Amino acid sequence: MREITISQAVNEALAEEMRRDETVFIIGEDVAEAGTPFKVLSGLVEEFGTARVVDTPIAEPGFMGLAVGAAMTGTRPVVDLMFGDFIYLIMDQLCNQAAKTHYMSGGKLNVPLVLRTNLGATRRSAAQHSQSLHALVAHIPGLKVAMPSSAYEAKGLMKTAIRDNNPVVIFEDKLMYNDKAPVPEEEYLIPFGEANIKREGSDITLIATSSMVQVCEEAAEILAAEGISAEVIDPRTIVPLDEKTLIASAKKTSRVIVVDEGHQSYGVTGEIAGRINEKAFYHLDAPVLRMGAMDVPVPFSPALEDITVPTPQAVVENARKLMLGEMIHAA
Amino acid sequence: MSPSKPHHNAQDYLRMYRQMVRIRTFEDNANQLYLSAKMPGLTHMYSGEEAVAVGICEALRKTDKITSTHRGHGHCVAKGAEFKEMFCELLGKEEGYCRGKGGSMHIADQSNGNLGANAIVGGSMGIATGSAFSAKLLGKDDVTVCFFGDGATAQGLMYETMNMAALWNLPVIYACENNGYSEYTKTEEIAAGSITARAEAFGMEAFQVDGQDVLAVNALTEQLVERCRKGEGPFFIELMTYRYHGHHVGDINREYYRSKEEEQDWKENRDPIIRFRSWLVSEGIISEAEIDAMNAEIKDDAAAAVDYALNAKYPDVSEVDMHVFTDVTHALAQG
Amino acid sequence: MPHDVIMPALGMAQDTGLLVAWHKHPGDAVASGDVLFEVETDKSTMEVEAQADGYLSNVTQGAGSDVPVGQVIAQITETPEHAADAPAPVPEPSQLPTGHNIIMPALGMAQDTGLIVAWHKSLGDAVAAQDILFEVETDKSTMEVEAGQDGFLAALLYPVGSEAPVGDTIAILTAETPETTLSLDRSSAAAAKPVENSTPPQSDAPAPEKPVPPLKTGGTAGNGKILASPKARRMALQMGLDLNDLVAMGHPQPYHVADIDILRTLPKTQPAPTTAAQSAQLKAKINPAALFEFTQWSGTFDDATLIAGFAGGALPQDRANITVATPISAQHFDVGPMGATAVTDAPDSVDLMIFDLRNSPLQAAQVGSNGAPTMTLIQKSANKLAITLEYNVHQMTAQQAITFITEFSQTLEQPLRQVL
Repeated sequence: MREITISQAVNEALAEEMRRDETVFIIGEDVAEAGTPFKVLSGLVEEFGTARVVDTPIAEPGFMGLAVGAAMTGTRPVVDLMFGDFIYLIMDQLCNQAAKTHYMSGGKLNVPLVLRTNLGATRRSAAQHSQSLHALVAHIPGLKVAMPSSAYEAKGLMKTAIRDNNPVVIFEDKLMYNDKAPVPEEEYLIPFGEANIKREGSDITLIATSSMVQVCEEAAEILAAEGISAEVIDPRTIVPLDEKTLIASAKKTSRVIVVDEGHQSYGVTGEIAGRINEKAFYHLDAPVLRMGAMDVPVPFSPALEDITVPTPQAVVENARKLMLGEMIHAA
Repeated sequence: MSPSKPHHNAQDYLRMYRQMVRIRTFEDNANQLYLSAKMPGLTHMYSGEEAVAVGICEALRKTDKITSTHRGHGHCVAKGAEFKEMFCELLGKEEGYCRGKGGSMHIADQSNGNLGANAIVGGSMGIATGSAFSAKLLGKDDVTVCFFGDGATAQGLMYETMNMAALWNLPVIYACENNGYSEYTKTEEIAAGSITARAEAFGMEAFQVDGQDVLAVNALTEQLVERCRKGEGPFFIELMTYRYHGHHVGDINREYYRSKEEEQDWKENRDPIIRFRSWLVSEGIISEAEIDAMNAEIKDDAAAAVDYALNAKYPDVSEVDMHVFTDVTHALAQG
Repeated sequence: MPHDVIMPALGMAQDTGLLVAWHKHPGDAVASGDVLFEVETDKSTMEVEAQADGYLSNVTQGAGSDVPVGQVIAQITETPEHAADAPAPVPEPSQLPTGHNIIMPALGMAQDTGLIVAWHKSLGDAVAAQDILFEVETDKSTMEVEAGQDGFLAALLYPVGSEAPVGDTIAILTAETPETTLSLDRSSAAAAKPVENSTPPQSDAPAPEKPVPPLKTGGTAGNGKILASPKARRMALQMGLDLNDLVAMGHPQPYHVADIDILRTLPKTQPAPTTAAQSAQLKAKINPAALFEFTQWSGTFDDATLIAGFAGGALPQDRANITVATPISAQHFDVGPMGATAVTDAPDSVDLMIFDLRNSPLQAAQVGSNGAPTMTLIQKSANKLAITLEYNVHQMTAQQAITFITEFSQTLEQPLRQVL
């Protein structure tokens, strides 16, 4: 199968959906001729014109709010938020307006909107361009949250998101745009709420999102060499969450580490660990471990930044401890 | 009263009058429901501002859109909503416009083009602008009116969205209902400079109109709506009006921010309904007796709707996790 | 139809309003918009206007009453006649007659309340100071209480059968014959608010379920908690095993599934260890360098199979059930003549238990030999492997034990010899 980058995958997904449905349009800062700073959207304006690939002023709340209204009245906006960190700027429009409109209207109004943005540290971009803030929006009822881990997921999830009648936030990892993966030529969709078992295993389950899927796949390789069989699961969407697959795996292996690039406190890792604790408690042979980004603003210096996110080595070390029955914090 | 366009016939005028009285009557009943502790929550009365909502909405088609505010009952009635569903919503009943999930501050009536009231001051600026963007992209000639108060002019979102609307010639009319008070504070204490000049800075045509004169409001809006349909939008209107009640029902002791004499003056000398009523009679369009009969009929309608709503049933508790997502019946159902 | 005059909800968080004054008298003509009464709420006072034309009637609340929001306090009727029909106001605590308060006396040593057994006077009766007014039961005794004051019984605040807190007013005597009398029940059982506010009805939530007793966990050793994983506990429970048996044999906590495998090999009911004299211990030390080389070279055997094979070869009997446990797993072997091994399910009884702790940070272990002779392997350093055999005198003789550990140690030190 051909291999393409995440960048190309997203671009293809958008182009295919815009060809299929004339109500789909892209709006955001420097999305047209510039094709975004990451060049993900290059070429789209040439095909679809500036009416449907709309460059906005630097006014995140403004174009986000505009997209909410457009979505309520018959179009399907794909909002491009240049950096995930800017989500704070659009919180009212995303969380008070988009997320609640269907509910507050008793089901009468829909907001079929996609917010494309990114996450990920270690790009030396410092504290305001490096955050992974997906947990903030996953906390809000009414929003769906997708986290592609490869080009295959990036394309399939984007196409599903555009066809969804709810507001969907997609977080791409900004360090992975050039990562290649096999992507079929023919059309496909990835349904929301279906986790992907990336690697089967029997001793320990590594649940990982987005960039952390790669990290856990590497960790699983190292563990395999030591005779420890790790299962790697990518939930793909954290809302809705494929709890069934995660719980089944936890019951099978009895040991779970949840790895996610958001801050560890009050985050995705805690949420998933909590659900496993509730629903697989009597099958656990070790505490469920959370591994998130350090609870510090992302530092600039490479020497500091690199230690803030989970690495394959750190995952391996924790996996070993669980395998040895070293009950962490047993005292 | 301002002279109106010749194409208006008696029916149009009477409909405008009827809609204004319907709003006033609705609010009188809502006020009583709240004061008698029969209505839960928090509510804001539109009484006194009727000519704004009616003058504007009578210039719109059913397919044109509006966005509304926390002081939104008037917009909702003016855009064609029914008493029964509105009172049911105010009381949190199943038959309410939003099945009781929105309440006083969130009534949406999509069937009449009302995209909903918004409890965030200035929160609907983006939605209205987006609705206009949609119409343009889809090649429709629908116009969107964004209702907001003078208080919302302090919100940043207004400037971001007006900028884009002006850049892209969107068919939207920003209708600023200047009732003189931003919650419990005089507008002059929160707004520097001129309000219309804000819009003019974006190259937008801006107008100030007497919001207590329904014919003046209607005539101006008709003209701007037509121009919007031709792609000449957006526009900005500042409507000078007055709210008779406090910021919300229960904002009783308000002499620290406005005097009883001032309120009395607006009620007695500038009431939009009284003014329009005398104009209708003096023009020979309707008699005093006919007007009294119309008022009585509306009063009865409202009373019947209130009775209906008081006795209507609450939504089943199973609805609590419905409508979170469009494609999931019960969001919290255990898989 | 009369129009109800209602205590309005005015403040943001207001439950009641204090009726400061009526601006109209019952029977007065009232026009819509007239100031009808004054209410104090949230520290501010406001005038409330009439909402209908008519006559003020049926006033139920006097000035000074604190009235729940939403309660009808009067009516505006179409004719003044109704005004005359005004019912006697419903008495409120603020409208109690004034007079001498009779209080619930403190009679017992540690008494909080008294039970009113009987009232000896009826409302309106004349009462003399020395008259028995009521009977109260406290601390299992009943006593009669005198009025202590002349007057007329104007109010009874606690009925017979109710309990009144000590010090609370339970009745009021007035100096003059009372115009009206009052009977209330202030006991806690009747303390529910009489007026209901209009709020959405409570959902028909099911009655709270009885708390389910917590699942029984595996037994605990004495007063100490056993540290074990949830899965280990569940498995022990399902298999009818007692984690205390692991504790008794000194097996290190916390327990995981691997430890349950060990627990399964133990006899199910452990007699309490009788005397330490019955168990014995032998220790050997070898250099494991050759063993290490051998396992690297042979490659095809995993450690457990190899160890089980060597041990089986050193045991006196021809066939033996041997369990080899590491900190993370346990494997069972059926070892035949010549050290031939076969992996089996957990057998009913084990001939030899081996704890291979070479990959664990453990530096010493005394695990006992309650189920079977038990051997532990502990890596002390790169060139030192400690072998400990613990056995019970009923399991093997000293001679058998010494022969076994000697042979086994030699095999481990020179594994090639065994194979050749």
